[in-house]
Order: sequence, then structure tokens, then C-alpha cells
Amino acid sequence: MNGPEILFYIPIFGGLPVTETLRNTWIVMAILILLSLWLTSGMKMQGISKKQVVVEQGVKMLYQMVEDTMGKDKLFFAPYIGTLFLFVLFSNLMGMFAMRAPTADLNTTAGLILIYFMLNQYFAIKCHGLAGRLKGFVEPIPVMLPLNIVGEFSTPISMALRLFGNIASGIVITSLIYQALTWVSNLVFGGITAFPVFAVGIPAVLSIYFDVFTDVMQAYIVTMLTMVFLAMAMD
Amino acid sequence: MEKAIVLGCSALGAGIAMIAGLGPGIGQGYAAGKAAEAVGRQPEAAGTVTRTLLTGCAVAESTGIYSLLIALTLIFVNPLVGML
Amino acid sequence: MDNLFLSLGYMPFISIDWTIIAQLLNTLILFLVLKKLLFGRVKQIIDARQAEVDKMYSDADAAMTEADRLKNLYADSVAGARDEAQRIVADARKTAEDQSEAILDEARTAASNMLAKAESEIASEKKKAVNEIKDEISDIAIMIAEKVVEKEITPADHEKLIADFIDRVGE
Repeated sequence: MNGPEILFYIPIFGGLPVTETLRNTWIVMAILILLSLWLTSGMKMQGISKKQVVVEQGVKMLYQMVEDTMGKDKLFFAPYIGTLFLFVLFSNLMGMFAMRAPTADLNTTAGLILIYFMLNQYFAIKCHGLAGRLKGFVEPIPVMLPLNIVGEFSTPISMALRLFGNIASGIVITSLIYQALTWVSNLVFGGITAFPVFAVGIPAVLSIYFDVFTDVMQAYIVTMLTMVFLAMAMD
Repeated sequence: MEKAIVLGCSALGAGIAMIAGLGPGIGQGYAAGKAAEAVGRQPEAAGTVTRTLLTGCAVAESTGIYSLLIALTLIFVNPLVGML
Repeated sequence: MDNLFLSLGYMPFISIDWTIIAQLLNTLILFLVLKKLLFGRVKQIIDARQAEVDKMYSDADAAMTEADRLKNLYADSVAGARDEAQRIVADARKTAEDQSEAILDEARTAASNMLAKAESEIASEKKKAVNEIKDEISDIAIMIAEKVVEKEITPADHEKLIADFIDRVGE
């Protein structure tokens, strides 16, 4: 099992590898930007089209969810949460189109969670003040200090690893299934054709669980956890 | 020869690491059972219960994911071979 | 081992390299673009519509309040008019009653006056008549007395005659 393929090197700092991950991220970004351009084109106040109803309903749902989970005073997070969800969802779903999902690379998930971590620290200090923030580490008892510090870092690390692990294991399992089906095909039809007959329809059915379900689920979960932990850090 | 031993032990280690998958399985099953009870008791709160269940399962899954990552690292990255 | 992977053109399965910075920047750029293009615009439309709806509602509320106020005003003025009418009718009736009372009183007074006058006239006439009769009686008595004196009647007859006469005339 290989990591992301290196496409070319940027000749600075001794050659920065540009990988499949980056290319697929750019594809996802392009899709999302074009999609939002298309979705928001021709928006009107009255006599709205079906497209606009859908996109408005989606945005309303997003704001409602942020309000329910984080509270009314943190509604300004909604665009970030929405971006996170859309980016992770589309990145996860890239795996269905025979491209390596950007989230199957630890760099992507770590980058996402790094943003979350910085936001978390910034708003925690902004809401509680530096002194209150430091005091929070020795609560409820000072003995908890090491645990609290570990907990502060383990939450984002586990979030990054969870997303990466789920998507990467999906890739591993899909490739294992392909290998197994190719092996069975060769066993059964080995004398007739080298084409892996069984590998045509069956993976699609399995990918409904391993790709679609897990992908949507993980996008939802990473968004949800980001909201919950941000709200917890601020309250 | 040494490399073969390390590779074989890495594979064994990966398999042993995945024993940790038991924990999240039991934990998530227990959580799902409790959630089913909660929905049975309060069907109108099904949405909230499901949301909490999913979030809780995601957190409970962490240990399983860690072991999975260790197994994947042992198999695909082979960090121990580089130490020879 | 890393070199082996790189020479094959693949990154390790699990690795952290400069891609993390690139992805971080990618996400930030995507966030800024989507915030401006998607969420900002849609939220603006939703808010504008919400504001419009709120305005319509408040306008409708204001119109309703105004209508209520006018309705109350009309009801008040109608009630006032009714009271006024009742008052006028009552006044008129009272005036009429007073007037009829006054007229009746006047008539009654006049009637009683006339009655009293008539009675007093009757009384005076009667008195006059009685006086005249008495005069006549006395004349007649004198006449009778002259005749009695001429015809020589007993005092008893005399007396009886006078009494009879008075009785008959004095009725």
C-alpha cells in the first residue's frame, strides 16, 4: 500500500513534493467554488428557483445546527463550520471517483485540525482571558494539571487521526477487496481471461458502506466535534 | 534474515494491535443499546439521542482508530525496518 | 526506506511534511472564498427576506393597530351619538312633559278659578234671591198683616200662615 503519489517537485527548499493529495484538494476546491458560484447565481428575493430553495434551505439548516449545538452567540462560526463540512465531505467522496481522497493523507486532516486548534486556543483566551485560561488547567484540582495539558492536545490529535484513520482504512479495505476479487477471478476464470470479472460490480455495492456511509458520517462527526469542542472551550 | 524477522514481527504486531478493536466494539454496542433504550423511553427525542450517540461513538472509536493506525503503520510504513 | 518510496514517486502512507502547510492554506483560502461566495451571499438573501417579512409583519401590525384605533374611535363616536340622541329625546320628552304639566296646571287652575267664581256667583245670586224673597216675604207679611188686621184673624192663624209661607218660599 503506497502513500499519495508524487506528481512533481517545486524546486525550492530542496524540492517540495506536490502530491496527489494536493492536486485532489485543488480539484475539490475548484468544484466547491464553481458549485457555489453556480448555486448563488441569479439569486432573487421573490419567485425563487428550485436551486435557490435548496441552497437556502441548506444554509438555513447549517445556521440552525450551529445555533443548536454552539449557541446563538457563536453563529459567526457557521461559515467556517459549513466550509469544513463541505470540504471534508467532498474530499472523502473523491475516493468514489477513483481518486485518492485528500483526507486519506494525514497532512490534510492535521492541517484542518491545526486550524481548529488555533481557533480553539484563540477563542478560549479571548473568552476567558489568559489568566482564566491558565487557571482552567488546574481545575478542579491542581493534580489534574498534566492530564488537562495532555487532554488539550490529545483532543485535536485524536480528531485528526480519527478522520485520517477512517478514510485511509476505507482505501485499504477497498484495495484489499479488489485484490481478493481479482484473485478469485483468476482462480475461477484464470484459464479463460485475465480480466478480473468479479471486480466489476461487487466493489460498488461494498463501497456504499465503506465509502459513502463512512465518508458522510466522518464529515458529519468531524464537523460536530469541532462545534462541540469550540463551544466547550468558549463557555 | 534480520529484515524478514522484523517484517514478520511487524505483521504479528499489527494483528495484535487490532485486538484493541474489541474495546470500541463493546463500548459502541453498549452505547447503541443505551441509545435504543432512550429512544424507546422518549421517542420524541430520537434526533437528539441519535446525534449524541454518533458523537459519542466517534469519541469511543478513538482507541480503535489508534490501534488501526498502528497496524497500518507497521504494515505499510515499516518503521522498524529502518532501525536495522 | 523513505528514499525508496520517494524514488518510486510515492510518499509514505503516514507522513507529515510540508503538505500540512499547503493544506492549511488551501482550507483557509477555501473558507474565505466560500464565506464570500456562498454563505455570505445566501445569508444576505435570507436576512434580507427575513427583514422584509418582519417589515411586512410589523406593517400589518401597525395597520391592524390603526384599524383598531379607528374602529374604537368610530364605536366611541357612534356610542356618543346614540347617547346624544337619547339625551335629546329625553330632553324633549322632559320639556314636553313639563309643558303639558304646566298647561294642565294652568287649565286646572283656570277651571278651579272659574268654578270658584261660579260658586261665589251662585252663592251671591242665591243670597240676593234669598234677600229678595225675604224682602218680598216681609212685604207679603206686611200685606198679610194689613189684611189680617182688616179681616181680624186669630194670632194662631196668623202665625201659621207666616210659617207656612216661609217654609214654602225658603226652600
